[in-house]
Amino acid sequence: MISRTAIAHLQEKLGATNVAYEKEDLLVLGYDATPGVHHLPEVAVFPTTMAAVLAAMEIALREGLPIVPRGSGTGLSGGSVPVKGGMVLCLNRMNRILEIDEENLTATCEAGVVTLDLFNATATKGLFYPPDPGSQKISTLGGNVMEDAGGLRGLKYGVTRDYVMALKCVLPDGSILTTGGKSVKDVAGYAFKDLLVGSEGTLGIITEVTVKLIPPPQAKRTFLAYFDDIRTAGAAVSKIIAAKIIPSTMEIMDRATINCVEDYVKIGLPRQMAALLLIEVDGHPAMVAEEAEGVEAILKAVKAAEIHVAKDAEEAAQLAAARRTALSALARVSPTTLLEDATVPRSMLAETFAEIERLTEKYRLKVGTFGHAGDGNLHPTVLCDERNAEEMQRAHAFYDDLYAKVLGWGGTVSGEHGIGLAKKEYLARQIGAGGVRVMKRIKDAFDPEGRLNPGKIFDEHDPCTRAHVEEGFRVSH
Amino acid sequence: MSRTEDKLGNFTPQDAPTYEAVLQCMRCGFCLPTCPTFALTGRERSSPRGRVALARAVAEQQLEFTAAVKEESFFCLDCRACTTACPSGVRAGEVMEICRSQSHQQFPLGHVGKSFREFILQRMLPDPDLLEKSMLPARLYQRLGIQWLVRHSKLLKLGPAWMEKAEGMMPHLGKPLRPQLAELTPARGEERGRVGFFLGCVMTLMYPEVSRQTVRVLAHQGFEVVTPKQAKCCGAPHLSEGDRQSARELAMFNLDLFLAQDVDYIVTDCAGCGAALKEYEELLEGAAEHEKLARFRGKVRDISEFLSEVGLRSAGLKPVNRSVTYHEPCHLCHAQGISRQPRELLGQIPGVELREMNEASWCCGSAATWGLKFSKESRQVLDRKLENVKQTGAEILVTANPGCQLQLAWGAREAGLKQEVRHLMELLGEATPE
Repeated sequence: MISRTAIAHLQEKLGATNVAYEKEDLLVLGYDATPGVHHLPEVAVFPTTMAAVLAAMEIALREGLPIVPRGSGTGLSGGSVPVKGGMVLCLNRMNRILEIDEENLTATCEAGVVTLDLFNATATKGLFYPPDPGSQKISTLGGNVMEDAGGLRGLKYGVTRDYVMALKCVLPDGSILTTGGKSVKDVAGYAFKDLLVGSEGTLGIITEVTVKLIPPPQAKRTFLAYFDDIRTAGAAVSKIIAAKIIPSTMEIMDRATINCVEDYVKIGLPRQMAALLLIEVDGHPAMVAEEAEGVEAILKAVKAAEIHVAKDAEEAAQLAAARRTALSALARVSPTTLLEDATVPRSMLAETFAEIERLTEKYRLKVGTFGHAGDGNLHPTVLCDERNAEEMQRAHAFYDDLYAKVLGWGGTVSGEHGIGLAKKEYLARQIGAGGVRVMKRIKDAFDPEGRLNPGKIFDEHDPCTRAHVEEGFRVSH
Repeated sequence: MSRTEDKLGNFTPQDAPTYEAVLQCMRCGFCLPTCPTFALTGRERSSPRGRVALARAVAEQQLEFTAAVKEESFFCLDCRACTTACPSGVRAGEVMEICRSQSHQQFPLGHVGKSFREFILQRMLPDPDLLEKSMLPARLYQRLGIQWLVRHSKLLKLGPAWMEKAEGMMPHLGKPLRPQLAELTPARGEERGRVGFFLGCVMTLMYPEVSRQTVRVLAHQGFEVVTPKQAKCCGAPHLSEGDRQSARELAMFNLDLFLAQDVDYIVTDCAGCGAALKEYEELLEGAAEHEKLARFRGKVRDISEFLSEVGLRSAGLKPVNRSVTYHEPCHLCHAQGISRQPRELLGQIPGVELREMNEASWCCGSAATWGLKFSKESRQVLDRKLENVKQTGAEILVTANPGCQLQLAWGAREAGLKQEVRHLMELLGEATPE
């Protein structure tokens, strides 16, 4: 347990309002959007400057506290959950956009800047920051980088990693590591930047991010296609890709998802349809016209039940916004939403849908599936009740079987949510014991004492970690 | 979590949230950017997600119902912006409203505080006559010009901040409308139906001219208007203060009163009353017959919702050549989901130019007595709103709820803004020929 002196010290260095240690504050800083994982930290700090980050980390290390970075707590794998207690380092008050460099097409900001705020700030300068995770209205850049967040535009524009040019981070020994820069090319030594992206706070605490910006597309066309069979929708996606058309967005929702989303947004989505695809092509007007024609021809060829074109940008934005609510809207039907992030090579989409259907029946579950179909990244979500242990067991068996298939097809256990606490076992299955050993050696090189976000990505064979995860809630004082 | 038959975790049995209501939150955080108190403090426990998590911890016996839980339940503006933002259907505002009731059970007030609160909530508000008499000294005080003197001599700077604000917020008071208004106002032109008008307490006392226009417009639109004089307070202040029992008694009275009137609709021009009337169905569940509650709920309309639904007869409306901007009352847009209709009506008044402000549905910081209890924070929320109002350059700031109107008019005057603040029905009244 943290000492009174240490708290006084933190208050002195960070300011009293930037240190939280009352139970009611700690209780609400020990979760993210991952179901079933909730742990109490011993203290939480809200640094507003680099100096404050350094001071907080120094005190944590002196007190022997693990350090867990947190943005807005919207993660979907438990990355920011303080599974071993310690200090939660909240970066959301470091939220200044430091520079938008119109000559180099970059933006530099503190880790706590909200993703959508950066998007809007760059848009006013006629520039475009594409990564748009579902939680973009509140997720932070630092969190996006740590989990390598994706979004609706991943298909054409890639994910957060593809835009990170430079990072400033603090290592546990108090040294500051700056990696990358505004140069478009950089092959100087090991790519630390690429190691840090997606490292979930286990290697360093990121305080500043420089991202690449691009010119926005001049034109867009948005389609909404309905299907009687979800496998037909899968086939449409594979055919569009095979026709060498890369839409910016190709999103899928199944019937359960359509109905939950419609319950919330009330914009007239087709409740009776088996699936819908939201497809957007963008770019130069001539190219958009050509690609739109190609997309429409394929949708007709596979016999989509209905094909609609958004009448204006406002309607297109409304549809994308509706899609972003899918996961939270699914939570309307059941107290617990167990969501996964399986990603397969796109040619395997139709098979994946068939497998999800088969397993849903086998394990007698209610499943809503949505996701970034164009990326082969699906979010089959089991709608269950955490109070029903037997149902939870079936849900886990569902994912076990599904992941076995996904890995057999050369897919991955996480497309964009990260491993965190939720998928450690699956990761070990994917990369093998040898892979995990190499990851641990990398971790040792950055954080030899294991202070940064312990218990994440892989197990350290510390029996405590497992016990805490299963317990679900640890009260440390 | 332990749950005996009548008790959820560390909540007391009477008026506790249901476990389902708190379990519904999957913690996606979509509510965070819409919450004024989270924007003010950056503190998770002062956010909808945090507040629901606290309630869940109480339900799961991870936490006692502590002073901090009580504090958060009252620090919540109950603006319901989070309800609008929540795809999962969590109603954090309502959970907090119920926690307010828990607060009184778990932290009983001292004798004086309790008597005062009971006097206001259980004696004054339920009795329209008493309420009108109590406002007499205030009117007298204004009539004698002391108000002017006090405002200008900064005399009240000596008093507690809230008193000064309350005094400053008081509009020029006319005679209460309730005794003046006929029980039955005949329809004009081709008759379209019979409407029960629910005259709110704040409307009759503070804004009698607004509701006079509402009745006149309804009549002009072809509706016979019944205004039952016995109508009591809608119960919103009681719900807001956590006195659910008095709220139920008032609700039961109004339910029977209005159902006996043989009216097609029950209309109000106060967003706060409208939201409360629409919640009778839940509030009285189990206490009144379901059929009655559903019938009542089916008739209740906000005035803008009503006029938009039946269609405004705009022939003969006089032009009002003014630029306006519209502030959405939380209890209209978030609690009742009414956003489109007031704008539609503004668009139908000839000559009115609507200039949208940024964050039109962001709270103004009034929120019943919140603005007096947290006067500093209320001022910060208000400043954000006034800045957005200022940006529009519109001549008139239109809203549709007396709480907002009091707060905005006071704020605009304090900040030296040129905008006059008016209720939508005043504008529609101006356009309606005699």
